[in-house]
Amino acid sequence: MSKFTSELVDDLAAKLLIGLSHEENEMVLDEFAIIDENLSKVEDFENIKNIEPMTHCLDDFTFTLREDVASESIPIDEALKNCGKTEGREVEVPKVVGGEN
Amino acid sequence: MDKTIEELHEMLKNGSVSSQELVNEAIKKSHEIQEKYNAFVTILDDAKETKVTDNLLSGIPFGIKDNYSTKDILSTGSSNTLKDYVPFYTATAVQNLLDAGAIPVNKTVLDEFGMGGTGTTGHTGIVKNPWDSTRMTAGSSAGSACAVAAGVYPYALGSDTGDSIRKPAAFCGIVGYKPTYGMISRYGLFPFASSLDHCGVLTRSVADAAIVTDTMKGIDEHDMTSWDSSDIHLYESLNREVKGKKLCYIKELCDIESYENPTDELKLHLENFKKSLEICSSLGIEIEAVSVDKKLLDALPSVYVAISCAEATSNMSNLTGIIFGPRGEGKNVMEMMMDHRTKGFSPLIKRRFVIGSYILQKENQERYFKNAQRVRRLLVDTWKKLFETYDAVILPVGSGPAKHLDGSKDILTKDTAALEEHLQIGNFGGFPSITIPSGFINKLPVALNITGNCYDDANILNIAYAMESKMPYKNQIAKEVNHE
Repeated sequence: MSKFTSELVDDLAAKLLIGLSHEENEMVLDEFAIIDENLSKVEDFENIKNIEPMTHCLDDFTFTLREDVASESIPIDEALKNCGKTEGREVEVPKVVGGEN
Repeated sequence: MDKTIEELHEMLKNGSVSSQELVNEAIKKSHEIQEKYNAFVTILDDAKETKVTDNLLSGIPFGIKDNYSTKDILSTGSSNTLKDYVPFYTATAVQNLLDAGAIPVNKTVLDEFGMGGTGTTGHTGIVKNPWDSTRMTAGSSAGSACAVAAGVYPYALGSDTGDSIRKPAAFCGIVGYKPTYGMISRYGLFPFASSLDHCGVLTRSVADAAIVTDTMKGIDEHDMTSWDSSDIHLYESLNREVKGKKLCYIKELCDIESYENPTDELKLHLENFKKSLEICSSLGIEIEAVSVDKKLLDALPSVYVAISCAEATSNMSNLTGIIFGPRGEGKNVMEMMMDHRTKGFSPLIKRRFVIGSYILQKENQERYFKNAQRVRRLLVDTWKKLFETYDAVILPVGSGPAKHLDGSKDILTKDTAALEEHLQIGNFGGFPSITIPSGFINKLPVALNITGNCYDDANILNIAYAMESKMPYKNQIAKEVNHE
Protein backbone atom coordinates (compact mmCIF):
# COMPACT_ATOMS: atom_id res chain seq x y z
CA MET A 1 0.00 0.00 0.00
CA SER A 2 1.33 3.41 -0.96
CA LYS A 3 1.56 5.95 1.87
CA PHE A 4 -0.80 8.88 1.54
CA THR A 5 1.54 11.87 1.37
CA SER A 6 1.35 15.40 0.06
CA GLU A 7 3.38 14.33 -2.98
CA LEU A 8 1.05 11.42 -3.66
CA VAL A 9 -1.98 13.73 -3.38
CA ASP A 10 -0.48 16.00 -6.04
CA ASP A 11 0.38 13.00 -8.20
CA LEU A 12 -3.16 11.61 -7.98
CA ALA A 13 -4.61 15.05 -8.68
CA ALA A 14 -2.42 15.37 -11.77
CA LYS A 15 -3.61 11.98 -13.03
CA LEU A 16 -7.19 13.17 -12.49
CA LEU A 17 -6.33 16.31 -14.46
CA ILE A 18 -7.03 18.49 -11.44
CA GLY A 19 -4.73 21.16 -10.06
CA LEU A 20 -4.76 21.54 -6.27
CA SER A 21 -3.70 24.54 -4.20
CA HIS A 22 -1.51 23.97 -1.12
CA GLU A 23 -4.57 24.46 1.12
CA GLU A 24 -6.61 21.96 -0.89
CA ASN A 25 -3.79 19.44 -0.67
CA GLU A 26 -3.70 19.79 3.12
CA MET A 27 -7.48 19.40 3.36
CA VAL A 28 -7.29 16.12 1.43
CA LEU A 29 -4.68 14.81 3.87
CA ASP A 30 -6.73 15.87 6.91
CA GLU A 31 -9.93 14.33 5.62
CA PHE A 32 -8.25 11.13 4.52
CA ALA A 33 -6.57 10.69 7.92
CA ILE A 34 -10.01 10.27 9.48
CA ILE A 35 -11.18 7.83 6.81
CA ASP A 36 -7.96 5.83 7.21
CA GLU A 37 -8.37 5.71 10.99
CA ASN A 38 -11.99 4.59 10.79
CA LEU A 39 -11.45 2.01 8.08
CA SER A 40 -8.43 0.65 9.97
CA LYS A 41 -10.83 -0.34 12.73
CA VAL A 42 -12.90 -2.22 10.17
CA GLU A 43 -10.05 -4.68 9.75
CA ASP A 44 -10.67 -5.78 13.35
CA PHE A 45 -14.24 -6.82 12.56
CA GLU A 46 -14.67 -10.55 12.93
CA ASN A 47 -14.40 -12.44 9.64
CA ILE A 48 -14.50 -9.20 7.67
CA LYS A 49 -12.57 -10.77 4.80
CA ASN A 50 -15.21 -13.47 4.41
CA ILE A 51 -17.97 -10.95 3.75
CA GLU A 52 -18.95 -10.44 0.14
CA PRO A 53 -18.47 -6.76 -0.77
CA MET A 54 -21.83 -5.10 -1.46
CA THR A 55 -21.73 -3.28 -4.78
CA HIS A 56 -25.42 -2.57 -5.42
CA CYS A 57 -28.53 -1.82 -3.37
CA LEU A 58 -30.69 -4.58 -4.80
CA ASP A 59 -29.57 -8.12 -5.47
CA ASP A 60 -32.89 -9.31 -6.87
CA PHE A 61 -33.51 -7.18 -9.90
CA THR A 62 -33.77 -8.76 -13.30
CA PHE A 63 -33.32 -7.07 -16.58
CA THR A 64 -33.79 -8.52 -20.00
CA LEU A 65 -31.35 -7.25 -22.57
CA ARG A 66 -33.00 -5.95 -25.70
CA GLU A 67 -32.41 -7.53 -29.07
CA ASP A 68 -29.08 -6.59 -30.63
CA VAL A 69 -30.69 -4.41 -33.24
CA ALA A 70 -29.61 -0.89 -34.06
CA SER A 71 -32.06 1.68 -32.73
CA GLU A 72 -32.33 5.44 -32.84
CA SER A 73 -29.26 7.13 -31.41
CA ILE A 74 -28.30 10.66 -30.46
CA PRO A 75 -28.76 13.19 -33.27
CA ILE A 76 -25.21 14.43 -33.96
CA ASP A 77 -26.19 18.07 -34.49
CA GLU A 78 -27.99 18.14 -31.12
CA ALA A 79 -25.14 16.39 -29.34
CA LEU A 80 -22.70 18.97 -30.64
CA LYS A 81 -24.74 21.96 -29.45
CA ASN A 82 -22.87 22.00 -26.13
CA CYS A 83 -19.45 21.60 -27.69
CA GLY A 84 -17.13 24.61 -27.62
CA LYS A 85 -15.61 24.03 -31.04
CA THR A 86 -16.87 21.90 -33.91
CA GLU A 87 -16.18 21.35 -37.56
CA GLY A 88 -19.09 19.87 -39.45
CA ARG A 89 -20.15 16.74 -37.59
CA GLU A 90 -16.94 16.53 -35.54
CA VAL A 91 -15.47 17.90 -32.33
CA GLU A 92 -12.48 20.10 -33.03
CA VAL A 93 -9.39 19.90 -30.79
CA PRO A 94 -5.73 20.88 -31.16
CA LYS A 95 -3.75 18.41 -33.25
CA VAL A 96 -2.93 15.33 -31.16
CA VAL A 97 -0.84 13.12 -33.43
CA GLY A 98 2.35 14.95 -34.31
CA GLY A 99 1.14 18.02 -32.47
CA GLU A 100 2.75 19.87 -29.59
CA ASN A 101 2.56 17.89 -26.33
CA MET B 1 -49.26 28.09 -3.64
CA ASP B 2 -49.39 27.44 0.10
CA LYS B 3 -51.97 24.71 -0.48
CA THR B 4 -51.55 20.94 -0.85
CA ILE B 5 -51.74 19.29 -4.26
CA GLU B 6 -55.20 17.92 -3.45
CA GLU B 7 -56.45 21.40 -2.51
CA LEU B 8 -54.94 23.05 -5.59
CA HIS B 9 -56.43 20.37 -7.83
CA GLU B 10 -59.86 20.94 -6.35
CA MET B 11 -59.51 24.70 -6.88
CA LEU B 12 -58.46 24.17 -10.49
CA LYS B 13 -61.36 21.83 -11.07
CA ASN B 14 -63.99 24.14 -9.60
CA GLY B 15 -62.60 27.16 -11.43
CA SER B 16 -61.66 29.23 -8.38
CA VAL B 17 -58.14 29.52 -9.78
CA SER B 18 -56.60 28.91 -13.20
CA SER B 19 -53.42 27.06 -14.06
CA GLN B 20 -51.93 30.28 -15.49
CA GLU B 21 -52.67 32.12 -12.25
CA LEU B 22 -50.82 29.43 -10.31
CA VAL B 23 -47.88 29.64 -12.72
CA ASN B 24 -47.78 33.43 -12.43
CA GLU B 25 -47.87 33.24 -8.64
CA ALA B 26 -45.09 30.62 -8.54
CA ILE B 27 -42.86 32.70 -10.83
CA LYS B 28 -43.47 35.89 -8.83
CA LYS B 29 -42.72 34.04 -5.61
CA SER B 30 -39.61 32.47 -7.19
CA HIS B 31 -38.14 35.93 -7.80
CA GLU B 32 -38.89 37.01 -4.22
CA ILE B 33 -37.30 33.86 -2.81
CA GLN B 34 -34.30 34.14 -5.13
CA GLU B 35 -33.68 37.64 -3.82
CA LYS B 36 -33.79 36.50 -0.19
CA TYR B 37 -32.38 32.97 -0.20
CA ASN B 38 -30.72 32.28 -3.58
CA ALA B 39 -32.60 29.02 -4.21
CA PHE B 40 -32.58 28.93 -8.03
CA VAL B 41 -30.17 28.54 -10.91
CA THR B 42 -32.89 29.33 -13.45
CA ILE B 43 -36.39 30.77 -13.21
CA LEU B 44 -38.56 29.86 -16.19
CA ASP B 45 -40.37 33.16 -16.71
CA ASP B 46 -42.06 31.90 -19.88
CA ALA B 47 -43.67 28.86 -18.20
CA LYS B 48 -47.22 28.35 -19.48
CA GLU B 49 -50.41 26.85 -18.11
CA THR B 50 -51.44 23.31 -19.00
CA LYS B 51 -54.86 21.72 -19.39
CA VAL B 52 -56.38 20.60 -16.12
CA THR B 53 -57.30 16.92 -16.27
CA ASP B 54 -58.21 14.30 -13.69
CA ASN B 55 -54.50 13.90 -12.96
CA LEU B 56 -53.86 15.57 -9.61
CA LEU B 57 -50.64 17.19 -10.85
CA SER B 58 -52.08 18.75 -14.01
CA GLY B 59 -51.93 22.51 -14.16
CA ILE B 60 -49.78 22.79 -11.01
CA PRO B 61 -46.24 24.29 -10.94
CA PHE B 62 -43.22 22.50 -9.48
CA GLY B 63 -39.44 22.83 -9.21
CA ILE B 64 -36.64 20.64 -10.57
CA LYS B 65 -33.25 20.15 -8.93
CA ASP B 66 -30.64 21.29 -11.41
CA ASN B 67 -29.03 17.86 -11.73
CA TYR B 68 -32.00 16.54 -13.71
CA SER B 69 -31.60 16.87 -17.48
CA THR B 70 -34.28 19.09 -18.99
CA LYS B 71 -34.42 19.42 -22.77
CA ASP B 72 -33.67 22.94 -23.97
CA ILE B 73 -33.44 24.21 -20.38
CA LEU B 74 -30.11 25.03 -18.72
CA SER B 75 -29.04 22.13 -16.47
CA THR B 76 -25.83 22.87 -14.59
CA GLY B 77 -25.56 20.44 -11.69
CA SER B 78 -24.65 23.68 -9.88
CA SER B 79 -21.14 23.31 -11.31
CA ASN B 80 -19.00 25.72 -13.28
CA THR B 81 -18.01 22.73 -15.43
CA LEU B 82 -21.56 22.72 -16.84
CA LYS B 83 -22.47 26.37 -16.37
CA ASP B 84 -23.84 26.70 -19.93
CA TYR B 85 -24.96 23.10 -20.53
CA VAL B 86 -28.37 22.71 -22.21
CA PRO B 87 -29.43 19.05 -22.54
CA PHE B 88 -31.08 17.69 -25.67
CA TYR B 89 -33.21 15.23 -23.74
CA THR B 90 -35.32 15.18 -20.59
CA ALA B 91 -34.89 12.89 -17.59
CA THR B 92 -37.53 10.16 -17.45
CA ALA B 93 -38.80 11.19 -14.01
CA VAL B 94 -39.31 14.76 -15.23
CA GLN B 95 -40.89 13.60 -18.49
CA ASN B 96 -43.40 11.51 -16.55
CA LEU B 97 -44.46 14.65 -14.68
CA LEU B 98 -44.65 16.70 -17.89
CA ASP B 99 -46.82 14.01 -19.44
CA ALA B 100 -49.17 14.36 -16.47
CA GLY B 101 -49.52 18.09 -17.14
CA ALA B 102 -47.23 19.35 -14.36
CA ILE B 103 -45.48 22.67 -15.04
CA PRO B 104 -41.82 23.28 -14.16
CA VAL B 105 -41.18 26.90 -13.14
CA ASN B 106 -37.57 26.79 -12.00
CA LYS B 107 -34.36 24.75 -11.64
CA THR B 108 -33.08 24.66 -8.08
CA VAL B 109 -29.58 25.04 -6.63
CA LEU B 110 -27.75 22.03 -5.22
CA ASP B 111 -24.36 21.33 -3.72
CA GLU B 112 -22.14 20.83 -6.75
CA PHE B 113 -23.25 17.58 -8.44
CA GLY B 114 -24.95 16.58 -5.18
CA MET B 115 -21.60 16.03 -3.51
CA GLY B 116 -22.19 18.03 -0.37
CA GLY B 117 -24.57 18.33 2.53
CA THR B 118 -24.67 22.04 3.27
CA GLY B 119 -26.25 23.89 0.34
CA THR B 120 -23.15 26.09 0.24
CA THR B 121 -21.12 24.69 -2.69
CA GLY B 122 -23.30 25.42 -5.72
CA HIS B 123 -21.64 27.57 -8.39
CA THR B 124 -24.28 30.30 -7.97
CA GLY B 125 -23.67 30.65 -4.25
CA ILE B 126 -25.06 29.69 -0.86
CA VAL B 127 -28.72 28.77 -0.36
CA LYS B 128 -30.09 30.25 2.86
CA ASN B 129 -32.65 28.65 5.15
CA PRO B 130 -36.08 30.32 4.86
CA TRP B 131 -36.67 29.86 8.60
CA ASP B 132 -33.42 31.67 9.45
CA SER B 133 -31.21 33.12 6.74
CA THR B 134 -28.14 32.84 8.98
CA ARG B 135 -28.49 29.05 8.85
CA MET B 136 -27.89 26.49 6.14
CA THR B 137 -30.62 24.53 4.42
CA ALA B 138 -28.42 21.42 4.34
CA GLY B 139 -28.03 19.72 1.01
CA SER B 140 -27.64 18.73 -1.53
CA SER B 141 -31.29 19.40 -2.54
CA ALA B 142 -30.94 22.84 -0.96
CA GLY B 143 -32.89 25.03 -3.40
CA SER B 144 -35.73 22.51 -3.66
CA ALA B 145 -36.09 22.36 0.13
CA CYS B 146 -35.93 26.14 0.48
CA ALA B 147 -38.51 26.76 -2.27
CA VAL B 148 -41.04 24.19 -1.05
CA ALA B 149 -40.70 25.40 2.54
CA ALA B 150 -41.13 29.02 1.42
CA GLY B 151 -44.34 28.19 -0.45
CA VAL B 152 -43.22 28.69 -4.06
CA TYR B 153 -45.09 25.51 -5.05
CA PRO B 154 -46.22 22.31 -3.34
CA TYR B 155 -43.31 20.13 -4.47
CA ALA B 156 -39.87 20.02 -6.02
CA LEU B 157 -37.69 17.18 -7.22
CA GLY B 158 -34.61 16.11 -5.31
CA SER B 159 -31.99 13.42 -5.49
CA ASP B 160 -30.53 11.53 -2.56
CA THR B 161 -27.15 9.75 -2.44
CA GLY B 162 -26.52 9.98 1.33
CA ASP B 163 -29.35 12.06 2.78
CA SER B 164 -29.66 14.82 0.18
CA ILE B 165 -33.46 14.91 0.18
CA ARG B 166 -34.15 13.90 3.75
CA LYS B 167 -31.68 16.17 5.60
CA PRO B 168 -32.61 19.47 3.88
CA ALA B 169 -36.29 18.55 4.27
CA ALA B 170 -35.65 18.23 8.02
CA PHE B 171 -33.81 21.55 8.27
CA CYS B 172 -36.54 23.32 6.29
CA GLY B 173 -39.53 21.83 8.13
CA ILE B 174 -40.99 19.85 5.22
CA VAL B 175 -41.36 16.25 4.00
CA GLY B 176 -38.54 14.52 2.11
CA TYR B 177 -39.03 11.07 0.58
CA LYS B 178 -36.76 8.79 -1.36
CA PRO B 179 -38.44 5.59 -2.48
CA THR B 180 -36.87 2.16 -2.87
CA TYR B 181 -33.83 2.19 -5.19
CA GLY B 182 -34.93 1.91 -8.80
CA MET B 183 -38.60 2.72 -8.25
CA ILE B 184 -37.93 6.00 -10.06
CA SER B 185 -35.72 5.88 -13.14
CA ARG B 186 -32.36 7.65 -12.83
CA TYR B 187 -32.12 8.20 -16.59
CA GLY B 188 -31.22 11.83 -17.06
CA LEU B 189 -30.15 12.38 -13.46
CA PHE B 190 -26.50 13.48 -13.37
CA PRO B 191 -24.76 10.54 -11.70
CA PHE B 192 -22.83 11.06 -8.46
CA ALA B 193 -22.45 7.55 -6.96
CA SER B 194 -24.60 5.26 -9.06
CA SER B 195 -25.03 2.47 -6.51
CA LEU B 196 -26.37 4.98 -3.98
CA ASP B 197 -28.18 7.58 -6.13
CA HIS B 198 -31.97 7.82 -5.71
CA CYS B 199 -34.54 10.17 -7.22
CA GLY B 200 -37.22 11.52 -4.92
CA VAL B 201 -39.32 14.47 -3.90
CA LEU B 202 -39.65 17.24 -1.33
CA THR B 203 -43.20 18.25 -0.35
CA ARG B 204 -45.11 19.72 2.57
CA SER B 205 -47.25 16.64 3.22
CA VAL B 206 -46.96 12.88 3.04
CA ALA B 207 -49.95 12.61 0.70
CA ASP B 208 -48.27 15.02 -1.73
CA ALA B 209 -45.09 12.90 -1.65
CA ALA B 210 -47.19 9.85 -2.52
CA ILE B 211 -49.01 11.65 -5.34
CA VAL B 212 -45.82 12.93 -6.97
CA THR B 213 -43.96 9.64 -6.65
CA ASP B 214 -46.88 7.72 -8.16
CA THR B 215 -46.35 9.82 -11.29
CA MET B 216 -42.53 9.92 -11.32
CA LYS B 217 -42.02 6.18 -10.89
CA GLY B 218 -42.07 3.32 -13.36
CA ILE B 219 -39.80 0.89 -15.17
CA ASP B 220 -37.67 2.54 -17.83
CA GLU B 221 -35.77 0.87 -20.64
CA HIS B 222 -33.08 3.53 -20.23
CA ASP B 223 -32.32 2.55 -16.60
CA MET B 224 -31.58 -1.13 -16.13
CA THR B 225 -31.90 -0.79 -12.34
CA SER B 226 -35.49 0.43 -12.56
CA TRP B 227 -38.26 -2.08 -11.87
CA ASP B 228 -41.96 -2.51 -12.52
CA SER B 229 -43.93 -0.87 -9.69
CA SER B 230 -47.26 -0.73 -11.52
CA ASP B 231 -48.92 -2.70 -8.71
CA ILE B 232 -47.84 -0.11 -6.13
CA HIS B 233 -50.27 2.80 -5.65
CA LEU B 234 -48.85 4.96 -2.91
CA TYR B 235 -51.56 7.62 -2.71
CA GLU B 236 -54.43 5.11 -2.81
CA SER B 237 -52.72 3.08 -0.07
CA LEU B 238 -52.80 5.90 2.49
CA ASN B 239 -55.40 5.01 5.13
CA ARG B 240 -53.80 5.67 8.55
CA GLU B 241 -54.52 2.08 9.59
CA VAL B 242 -51.34 1.54 11.56
CA LYS B 243 -52.56 -0.14 14.72
CA GLY B 244 -50.37 -3.14 15.47
CA LYS B 245 -47.43 -1.92 13.38
CA LYS B 246 -44.03 -2.30 15.00
CA LEU B 247 -41.22 0.24 14.92
CA CYS B 248 -37.81 0.21 16.53
CA TYR B 249 -35.21 2.84 17.30
CA ILE B 250 -31.48 2.45 17.88
CA LYS B 251 -30.53 2.98 21.51
CA GLU B 252 -26.94 3.93 20.70
CA LEU B 253 -28.19 6.84 18.59
CA CYS B 254 -31.18 8.01 20.60
CA ASP B 255 -30.16 7.80 24.25
CA ILE B 256 -28.63 11.00 25.58
CA GLU B 257 -26.28 8.90 27.72
CA SER B 258 -24.53 7.82 24.52
CA TYR B 259 -23.03 11.32 24.17
CA GLU B 260 -20.21 12.61 26.35
CA ASN B 261 -20.88 16.33 26.05
CA PRO B 262 -24.31 16.75 24.51
CA THR B 263 -25.32 20.25 23.44
CA ASP B 264 -28.58 21.74 24.62
CA GLU B 265 -29.90 21.42 21.07
CA LEU B 266 -29.10 17.70 21.04
CA LYS B 267 -30.85 17.20 24.38
CA LEU B 268 -33.95 19.02 23.14
CA HIS B 269 -33.83 17.13 19.85
CA LEU B 270 -33.77 13.74 21.52
CA GLU B 271 -36.54 14.82 23.91
CA ASN B 272 -38.58 15.85 20.87
CA PHE B 273 -37.94 12.44 19.35
CA LYS B 274 -39.13 10.64 22.47
CA LYS B 275 -42.34 12.70 22.34
CA SER B 276 -42.79 11.57 18.73
CA LEU B 277 -42.57 7.98 19.93
CA GLU B 278 -45.43 8.70 22.32
CA ILE B 279 -47.49 9.78 19.29
CA CYS B 280 -46.71 6.42 17.70
CA SER B 281 -47.92 4.65 20.82
CA SER B 282 -51.12 6.67 20.79
CA LEU B 283 -51.75 5.37 17.27
CA GLY B 284 -51.40 1.79 18.46
CA ILE B 285 -47.92 1.36 17.03
CA GLU B 286 -45.56 -0.75 19.12
CA ILE B 287 -42.17 0.82 19.76
CA GLU B 288 -39.07 -1.03 20.93
CA ALA B 289 -35.48 0.03 21.49
CA VAL B 290 -32.86 -2.16 19.87
CA SER B 291 -29.10 -2.19 20.11
CA VAL B 292 -26.65 -2.10 17.20
CA ASP B 293 -22.88 -2.62 17.40
CA LYS B 294 -21.43 0.87 18.03
CA LYS B 295 -18.31 -0.03 16.05
CA LEU B 296 -20.49 -0.61 13.02
CA LEU B 297 -22.29 2.70 13.47
CA ASP B 298 -19.02 4.58 13.97
CA ALA B 299 -17.66 3.19 10.70
CA LEU B 300 -20.68 4.46 8.77
CA PRO B 301 -19.52 7.98 7.75
CA SER B 302 -16.16 6.79 6.44
CA VAL B 303 -17.72 3.88 4.59
CA TYR B 304 -20.04 6.32 2.86
CA VAL B 305 -17.25 8.69 1.90
CA ALA B 306 -15.08 5.83 0.60
CA ILE B 307 -17.80 4.34 -1.61
CA SER B 308 -19.29 7.61 -2.82
CA CYS B 309 -15.92 9.23 -3.60
CA ALA B 310 -14.73 6.16 -5.49
CA GLU B 311 -17.88 6.00 -7.62
CA ALA B 312 -17.91 9.78 -8.17
CA THR B 313 -14.31 9.82 -9.35
CA SER B 314 -15.22 7.36 -12.05
CA ASN B 315 -18.59 8.90 -12.96
CA MET B 316 -17.22 12.41 -13.42
CA SER B 317 -14.20 11.57 -15.54
CA ASN B 318 -16.28 12.57 -18.57
CA LEU B 319 -16.28 16.21 -17.48
CA THR B 320 -13.45 17.46 -19.66
CA GLY B 321 -14.81 20.59 -21.36
CA ILE B 322 -14.01 19.07 -24.75
CA ILE B 323 -17.31 17.56 -25.90
CA PHE B 324 -19.50 19.67 -23.62
CA GLY B 325 -18.91 22.33 -20.98
CA PRO B 326 -16.76 25.44 -21.30
CA ARG B 327 -13.41 24.85 -23.01
CA GLY B 328 -10.31 25.18 -20.86
CA GLU B 329 -7.22 26.99 -22.06
CA GLY B 330 -4.08 25.16 -23.14
CA LYS B 331 -1.95 24.30 -26.09
CA ASN B 332 -2.99 20.67 -26.15
CA VAL B 333 -5.98 18.55 -25.15
CA MET B 334 -4.51 17.48 -21.80
CA GLU B 335 -3.79 21.05 -20.75
CA MET B 336 -7.26 22.12 -21.84
CA MET B 337 -8.90 19.39 -19.77
CA MET B 338 -6.69 20.19 -16.77
CA ASP B 339 -7.59 23.87 -16.97
CA HIS B 340 -11.30 23.08 -17.32
CA ARG B 341 -11.36 20.74 -14.34
CA THR B 342 -9.09 22.82 -12.11
CA LYS B 343 -11.11 26.00 -12.61
CA GLY B 344 -14.48 24.26 -12.83
CA PHE B 345 -14.63 22.05 -9.74
CA SER B 346 -15.01 23.43 -6.23
CA PRO B 347 -12.39 22.51 -3.58
CA LEU B 348 -14.80 20.04 -1.97
CA ILE B 349 -15.28 18.09 -5.19
CA LYS B 350 -11.58 18.07 -5.98
CA ARG B 351 -10.53 16.57 -2.70
CA ARG B 352 -13.25 13.95 -2.87
CA PHE B 353 -12.03 12.95 -6.33
CA VAL B 354 -8.47 12.55 -5.05
CA ILE B 355 -9.62 10.42 -2.12
CA GLY B 356 -11.75 8.33 -4.48
CA SER B 357 -8.85 7.86 -6.84
CA TYR B 358 -6.51 6.76 -4.03
CA ILE B 359 -9.08 4.28 -2.76
CA LEU B 360 -9.42 2.81 -6.25
CA GLN B 361 -5.67 2.29 -6.77
CA LYS B 362 -5.12 -1.43 -7.18
CA GLU B 363 -2.92 -1.70 -4.08
CA ASN B 364 -5.49 0.13 -1.91
CA GLN B 365 -8.74 -1.40 -3.08
CA GLU B 366 -8.81 -4.26 -0.60
CA ARG B 367 -8.14 -2.12 2.47
CA TYR B 368 -10.43 0.78 1.62
CA PHE B 369 -12.94 0.16 -1.18
CA LYS B 370 -13.70 -3.52 -0.62
CA ASN B 371 -13.72 -3.18 3.18
CA ALA B 372 -16.10 -0.24 2.87
CA GLN B 373 -18.35 -2.37 0.67
CA ARG B 374 -18.14 -5.19 3.23
CA VAL B 375 -19.24 -2.87 6.06
CA ARG B 376 -22.00 -1.64 3.76
CA ARG B 377 -23.28 -5.21 3.62
CA LEU B 378 -22.97 -5.65 7.39
CA LEU B 379 -25.02 -2.51 7.99
CA VAL B 380 -27.63 -3.45 5.40
CA ASP B 381 -27.90 -6.98 6.76
CA THR B 382 -28.33 -5.57 10.27
CA TRP B 383 -31.19 -3.35 9.09
CA LYS B 384 -32.75 -6.19 7.05
CA LYS B 385 -32.67 -8.34 10.16
CA LEU B 386 -34.57 -5.60 12.00
CA PHE B 387 -37.14 -5.53 9.20
CA GLU B 388 -37.89 -9.21 9.88
CA THR B 389 -39.39 -8.08 13.21
CA TYR B 390 -40.26 -4.44 12.66
CA ASP B 391 -42.10 -2.54 9.93
CA ALA B 392 -39.54 0.24 10.08
CA VAL B 393 -36.72 1.92 11.96
CA ILE B 394 -37.65 5.35 13.35
CA LEU B 395 -34.86 7.80 14.22
CA PRO B 396 -34.27 11.51 14.70
CA VAL B 397 -32.73 13.36 11.74
CA GLY B 398 -29.36 14.87 12.58
CA SER B 399 -28.40 16.26 15.97
CA GLY B 400 -30.76 19.23 16.02
CA PRO B 401 -32.01 22.04 13.79
CA ALA B 402 -30.17 23.65 10.87
CA LYS B 403 -26.53 24.56 11.48
CA HIS B 404 -25.20 28.11 11.29
CA LEU B 405 -23.76 29.00 7.90
CA ASP B 406 -20.58 30.38 9.40
CA GLY B 407 -19.91 26.99 11.00
CA SER B 408 -20.20 25.14 7.71
CA LYS B 409 -17.10 23.30 6.63
CA ASP B 410 -18.60 20.18 5.04
CA ILE B 411 -15.54 18.19 5.93
CA LEU B 412 -15.56 14.79 7.59
CA THR B 413 -14.29 15.43 11.10
CA LYS B 414 -13.48 13.06 13.92
CA ASP B 415 -16.55 14.08 15.88
CA THR B 416 -18.92 13.41 13.01
CA ALA B 417 -21.53 11.36 14.82
CA ALA B 418 -23.39 8.38 13.43
CA LEU B 419 -26.48 10.33 14.49
CA GLU B 420 -25.75 12.86 11.76
CA GLU B 421 -25.11 10.25 9.08
CA HIS B 422 -27.40 7.28 9.74
CA LEU B 423 -29.69 8.18 6.84
CA GLN B 424 -26.93 6.90 4.55
CA ILE B 425 -27.94 3.36 5.51
CA GLY B 426 -31.11 3.97 3.49
CA ASN B 427 -28.88 4.50 0.45
CA PHE B 428 -26.63 1.52 1.20
CA GLY B 429 -29.66 -0.78 1.20
CA GLY B 430 -31.91 1.10 -1.24
CA PHE B 431 -34.52 1.32 1.53
CA PRO B 432 -37.60 3.55 1.25
CA SER B 433 -37.09 6.41 3.66
CA ILE B 434 -39.16 9.45 4.60
CA THR B 435 -38.46 12.45 6.80
CA ILE B 436 -41.35 14.39 8.35
CA PRO B 437 -41.29 17.47 10.60
CA SER B 438 -41.62 16.61 14.30
CA GLY B 439 -41.41 19.97 16.06
CA PHE B 440 -39.26 23.00 16.78
CA ILE B 441 -36.16 23.84 18.76
CA ASN B 442 -35.56 27.57 19.27
CA LYS B 443 -38.25 28.24 16.61
CA LEU B 444 -36.37 26.13 14.05
CA PRO B 445 -37.80 22.90 12.64
CA VAL B 446 -36.52 19.43 13.50
CA ALA B 447 -37.59 16.11 12.06
CA LEU B 448 -37.78 12.37 12.38
CA ASN B 449 -37.17 9.70 9.78
CA ILE B 450 -38.91 6.42 9.05
CA THR B 451 -37.02 3.84 6.99
CA GLY B 452 -38.37 0.44 5.96
CA ASN B 453 -37.52 -2.55 3.85
CA CYS B 454 -37.17 -2.44 0.06
CA TYR B 455 -40.48 -2.42 -1.85
CA ASP B 456 -42.41 -1.65 1.37
CA ASP B 457 -42.90 1.99 0.40
CA ALA B 458 -46.67 2.02 0.86
CA ASN B 459 -46.34 0.80 4.44
CA ILE B 460 -43.65 3.36 5.28
CA LEU B 461 -45.62 6.25 3.82
CA ASN B 462 -48.74 5.12 5.64
CA ILE B 463 -46.98 5.15 9.00
CA ALA B 464 -45.64 8.64 8.24
CA TYR B 465 -49.13 9.69 7.09
CA ALA B 466 -50.67 8.55 10.37
CA MET B 467 -48.00 10.29 12.46
CA GLU B 468 -48.31 13.48 10.44
CA SER B 469 -52.04 13.57 11.20
CA LYS B 470 -51.29 13.72 14.93
CA MET B 471 -48.84 16.63 14.66
CA PRO B 472 -49.54 20.26 13.63
CA TYR B 473 -46.79 20.55 10.99
CA LYS B 474 -48.50 19.34 7.82
CA ASN B 475 -48.19 21.82 4.97
CA GLN B 476 -46.40 24.41 7.12
CA ILE B 477 -44.80 27.41 5.38
CA ALA B 478 -41.50 28.79 6.67
CA LYS B 479 -41.73 31.86 8.90
CA GLU B 480 -38.38 33.54 9.33
CA VAL B 481 -37.30 33.89 12.96
CA ASN B 482 -36.67 37.36 14.30
CA HIS B 483 -33.12 37.86 15.62
CA GLU B 484 -33.86 41.18 17.29
